[in-house]
Amino acid sequence: MAIHQMLFASLLICLLFQISHGATKERLFSDLEKGALEVTAKPSRGGVLDAGIDKLSITWKLSSTATKEAEFTTIKVKLCYAPVSQVDRPWRKTENELFKDKSCPHKIITRPYDKSPQSFEYTLERDIPTGTYFVRAYAVDAKDHEVAFGQSTDEAKSTNLFSVQAISGRHKSLDIASVCFSVFSVLALLVFFVNEKRKAKLEQSK
Amino acid sequence: MAQNNEDEGSIGTSMHGVTAREQVFSFSVQGEEDGPSSRTVRFDDPTAKFALPVDSEHRATAFKPFSFARPHMRAFHLGWISFFTCFISTFAAAPLVPIIRDNLDLTKSDIGNAGVASVSGAIFSRLAMGAVCDLLGARYGTAFLLMLSAPTVFSMSFVSDAGGYLSVRFMIGFCLATFVSCQYWTSVMFNGKIIGLVNGCAGGWGDMGGGVTQLLMPMVFHVIKLTGATPFMAWRIAFFVPGFLQVIMGILVLTLGQDLPDGNLSTLQKRGEVSKDKFTKVFWYAVLNYRTYVLFLLYGFSMGIEMTINNVISEYFFDRFQLELHTAGMIAASFGMANFFARPLGGYASDISARFFGMRGRLWTLWILQTSGGIFCVWLGRATSLPIAILAMMLFSVGVQAACGAIFGIVPFVSRRSLGIISGLTGAGGNFGSGLTQLIFFSSSRFHTADGLSLMGIMGMIFTLLVAFIHFPQWGSMFFGPTSDEKKSKEEHYYAAEWTEEEKRQGLHEGSLKFAENSRSERGRKAASDRSSPSMPPEGGNPAHV
Repeated sequence: MAIHQMLFASLLICLLFQISHGATKERLFSDLEKGALEVTAKPSRGGVLDAGIDKLSITWKLSSTATKEAEFTTIKVKLCYAPVSQVDRPWRKTENELFKDKSCPHKIITRPYDKSPQSFEYTLERDIPTGTYFVRAYAVDAKDHEVAFGQSTDEAKSTNLFSVQAISGRHKSLDIASVCFSVFSVLALLVFFVNEKRKAKLEQSK
Repeated sequence: MAQNNEDEGSIGTSMHGVTAREQVFSFSVQGEEDGPSSRTVRFDDPTAKFALPVDSEHRATAFKPFSFARPHMRAFHLGWISFFTCFISTFAAAPLVPIIRDNLDLTKSDIGNAGVASVSGAIFSRLAMGAVCDLLGARYGTAFLLMLSAPTVFSMSFVSDAGGYLSVRFMIGFCLATFVSCQYWTSVMFNGKIIGLVNGCAGGWGDMGGGVTQLLMPMVFHVIKLTGATPFMAWRIAFFVPGFLQVIMGILVLTLGQDLPDGNLSTLQKRGEVSKDKFTKVFWYAVLNYRTYVLFLLYGFSMGIEMTINNVISEYFFDRFQLELHTAGMIAASFGMANFFARPLGGYASDISARFFGMRGRLWTLWILQTSGGIFCVWLGRATSLPIAILAMMLFSVGVQAACGAIFGIVPFVSRRSLGIISGLTGAGGNFGSGLTQLIFFSSSRFHTADGLSLMGIMGMIFTLLVAFIHFPQWGSMFFGPTSDEKKSKEEHYYAAEWTEEEKRQGLHEGSLKFAENSRSERGRKAASDRSSPSMPPEGGNPAHV
């Protein structure tokens, strides 16, 4: 019955979340001001970057065409998937509703808005998956609502993309442990089996 | 007439009495009584020194779930926990898919195909398992599965791409054959009168593993991450936990378990006691009976759907409702854990309906449970808010899991001689259904997962209509009564039809006749009061029938 109580509690909590989230649900990406920030992302070297090792040199500054500058309080810089990395992967889908959009899940840095040009040296985290990316900076107002954005690629998301190779997650110690335990498992079984056959034979011969 | 001892140990007549009220066929202990009465199993044997009351074959006649007494209750617990552990291993990847898909750069097709692979292996291993248990005994059957598939669980640490992921999940899936070894073990340990309840509990509690794993793996993953490991390494380390569990259970089974009430198989075999039926015959009668195929498909859309959900539901909640990994796992776990009471409940509902309406009641109960499961599955796919989705999922879980229990309330009556094979085939049907539904609905980008769920529910409801085709000449079906033919409407005729004249002359069909007599309860209350007492002379011209 404890599981039922747990379930009911989580149901209530989720309901509360639903209610509180209600306000942000209808906010759309298409309402944001495009190109309000000029963002560049320069990889530290050419070719495919290695997660956990290589760096990105990111800069952003206010664009001359920006109109909503007065509302900017914070700048959130994120790593986003290029369309090629979204194919056959519905969990990375681009949605117009900001609440549902999953194309920019990796946070790079969040900084309070500053009129002067900003830059940041970002080392690719070790949990970044293999894929093709670009960088996007959202300008957020005091209510934590996005109002504008800028990205390091064009609107079709086809230029200035860079590729990342994830860490494998494998490790020699893991491999060795795996082999050891597997061998133990098979050996233990064989030992038991042979032993018992031997005992049964002994009993029969008595 | 003595039991046939000439045809030596034909393997494959597994699972004598997976559930219900059959009398013993094999394993009559020699030297106790002579002649025909050795085949009547006395319900109590006061001379035997066991912790539980036993019958004359030393099978327990009482079920005490809180006891661990050897050999009966110990076998029960070792059996269901082994099955439970294998469920944990088979579905261990499911709640971690959001991490694994990033590490291995998987596409939706890769994930779906791996899910299909994870349940496909068991189609074959479940079919073979009966024979293995006949050969090696339930203990080694279980231990072999556990300890030889443990390396496959550990080998998750080597996986680096979609192909490796699929292969490993495929290999791990073989261990789901512990369903068969578990039911086999309880069948030799428990008397036919209570075996229904015992197997329902063992099956249901084992199936819970699919739910527990959704909770366990994210928790283990989280703890490992706290010690400093990166996510892409932490999930690999997390797989060591189910691996360890399997090895530990394997050792426990070998050290604490016992094949048969009187000892271990190798010892008893040397004393020359085990007599069996011919595999080819048993297989033939299973294949000829059309109800086998109906049950195969029906179980495919109850147990099959349940296993599919085990594979997809955690990822579904994670993606659709933007939950944390362990929150999604918790919700997904509730689905599988409902098995604790839902599956025995289904069996119980089947038994109650049989008391009033006989076999027709059982069939209607099955149809109602499985169809309502389908309806709630459709609703789950349509639900856009989290609380509604959870409610739909819980109702769906009870419906579909109770249907599993209800199916195994019917299986024992389909055949007496081929009960083992039919039970094994029904079990394999579950895996087949799971593979099929995952392939159609969850392996490509054609459907959103939500739509896939609804369509799967609809497909399930359509296939559940097949219940109407299960017809017994002696009891009827959902819509038709028993046949009016005087001879064919007797239970004895149906069960004796599985034996040739030659075999009947040898008296090999004794067990079936006894079973037929006991199965008259499937006529229901109304029909029972119409007829005379159940002491009708059996058919087949068998002179020495007791």
